[in-house]
Amino acid sequence: MNTYTHRRLSSALIAAFILIFGGASADETCMSPYMAKIVGQEDFVYVWTLGVEGVGDEQDKLVTIDVRPDSDTYGEVVHSLSVGGRNEAHHSGLTDDRRYLWASGLDTSAILIFDIHTDPAKPRLSRKIEDFVAKSGGVVGPHTNYALPGRMLLTGLSNSADHGGRTALVEYTNAGDYITTHWMPTDDNLNGAEKSGNFADGYGYDVRALPRRNVMLTSSFTGWNNYMMNLGAVMADAEAMQRFGNTVVVWDLHTRKPRKILDVPGAPLEIRCAWGSRSNFCFTTTALTSKIWLIYEDGSGDWQAKAVADIGDASKIPLPVDISITADDQQLWVNTWNDGLTRLFDISDPQAPVQIMEQKIGAQVNMVSQSWDGERLYYTSSLLANWDKVEAPDGDDLQYFKAYSWQDGELEHQFTIDFLAAKLGTPHQMRFGAYSLYGK
Amino acid sequence: MGWRLAVLLVALPTIATPEQQPHHKAADQPQVLAPGYSVLRFPAPAARSYSLPSLGKAADGVLLDSSGTPATLHELYDDKTVVLSFIYTSCPDVNGCPLATFVLSQVQQRLSSDESLADKVRLVSVSFDPANDSPDVMADYGDSFRRHDIDWRFLTTESEERLAPILNDYDQAVIRDVGPDGELIGSMSHILRVFLIDTNKHIRNIYSPSFLHPDILLADILTVTTDDLPIDQ
Repeated sequence: MNTYTHRRLSSALIAAFILIFGGASADETCMSPYMAKIVGQEDFVYVWTLGVEGVGDEQDKLVTIDVRPDSDTYGEVVHSLSVGGRNEAHHSGLTDDRRYLWASGLDTSAILIFDIHTDPAKPRLSRKIEDFVAKSGGVVGPHTNYALPGRMLLTGLSNSADHGGRTALVEYTNAGDYITTHWMPTDDNLNGAEKSGNFADGYGYDVRALPRRNVMLTSSFTGWNNYMMNLGAVMADAEAMQRFGNTVVVWDLHTRKPRKILDVPGAPLEIRCAWGSRSNFCFTTTALTSKIWLIYEDGSGDWQAKAVADIGDASKIPLPVDISITADDQQLWVNTWNDGLTRLFDISDPQAPVQIMEQKIGAQVNMVSQSWDGERLYYTSSLLANWDKVEAPDGDDLQYFKAYSWQDGELEHQFTIDFLAAKLGTPHQMRFGAYSLYGK
Repeated sequence: MGWRLAVLLVALPTIATPEQQPHHKAADQPQVLAPGYSVLRFPAPAARSYSLPSLGKAADGVLLDSSGTPATLHELYDDKTVVLSFIYTSCPDVNGCPLATFVLSQVQQRLSSDESLADKVRLVSVSFDPANDSPDVMADYGDSFRRHDIDWRFLTTESEERLAPILNDYDQAVIRDVGPDGELIGSMSHILRVFLIDTNKHIRNIYSPSFLHPDILLADILTVTTDDLPIDQ
């Protein structure tokens, strides 16, 4: 670890790492504030990928893509690690020291922990947690893998009792040992929280922390019964459509106790918090009502929720999915899955976001990850195995990883990897890697 | 500092919080101090109103105390509630090791006014730079901060070989910074971790710069010194 080649040093300088204090994250600007950040050129993008029947080995896999512009293998898959089955691969997250990547499955509730620091170009499976449901006391569907100091916080989507939306937050050590479970507040057990509106549904989805305000926010989606059902069947089932989350919960970050339940109707999904030292607000978007919501601390120190913008025409069900805030808190990328558009909102006035551009990415688009400087954006297509589109108009990409540059208001395509043609599966969450994080 | 790195750091937002700041900052960038240096900007948690479940057993390891005498971590933990900090004395980042030592010194001040609590608590600072932080260096460093009535130990290790398993067990990654020709330049990049360890030698909390604050640490110390967490948890 103490000897470096000059090439390695240059790499370290280009991708400066922030180990004592992480940088901001829109993927690199959207991750845990406790985490080391890559502020320069990322070397690899790790893509947690769903296995698909009839495609390659049909297994979930962690796919490593080389994104170093000066590399001989730029734009190519340089490694693929299959994990032995299908789990409804969905989200992934890095530990605070960024040495391990946690990736979870919504169906089996399996959690795969990958070592990405020994050889960042070739992740290897370090540990598989298969008793998440039993250890957590019945939580199902680990979703967000979020770094806290020395530990990982996982949001659940469901529970083993009825496979509905009631769920919890679950803590593990970085090594993968269970610590504790925090159930979401419900009407039956508010656990000390203030119910500020009509809902206390106990649902979960994403989590973000604002350490400087001792605040943690969680959002709410739907349970296993819905997310494992065919999307058309869900949409046609009036009762199933009632079983979506309508809340954002404000937590005391240190004590992990819920403080206030905010009404945010329509399945609020990803949460992205501003980075400015006095910017005490976060954004989320609602999948069913197609709105941007501002979750903010008011002048009296209380937290509020407010719908601040429409995303497209809600009647056409654009279905906003991933969002990504820029490091300067001035812009927010919003993907709408159904129409395959990425949209950029000016959020310089967080109370009144304005859409300033949109561009078609593919037949469907889900995740977006941007570099710290905002100059590179990466997109993947898959939402859920049973919700994804199965065909696309001629010439329209269906399941892909795409790289773009973003300069002078132009989103310019760099390369595409067709994940079906490459017999990989369907790509979901992306995370960045860099040699320099480990002095390599 | 390499030119390209400087360019990158200048590009960082000046509004960045301490948590967001890089290890090395360009000289013309304002330094945002970690919350531990100032008044806590939210109400401190009420001690004993919450739980701090075990994060597992705190590992043992062989150290050298500031007189050069071998000592083990488990001997130091004894029957005390311990605050353990990994540092190195030449750490240049105000929000890194100096923050940890500053916060521990503030905790020391509070303990000095509560003799019964002070008897239950031990502060431990361990260097991860044995090549430069000899027992004598740690003794001098400790004399700059330690009150005579508070149990605060400053230790190092005999060698990198003795240190490595300890850092590994405590999940404390450390990378030695190098210059343009690959030479060591003395500084290190690391995540700042401070550990709260109970009398059963279980880790009960791990602190990073964003919430390493004397008010929070005191509340946590009071919480774990009075709870009845089963030994086998």
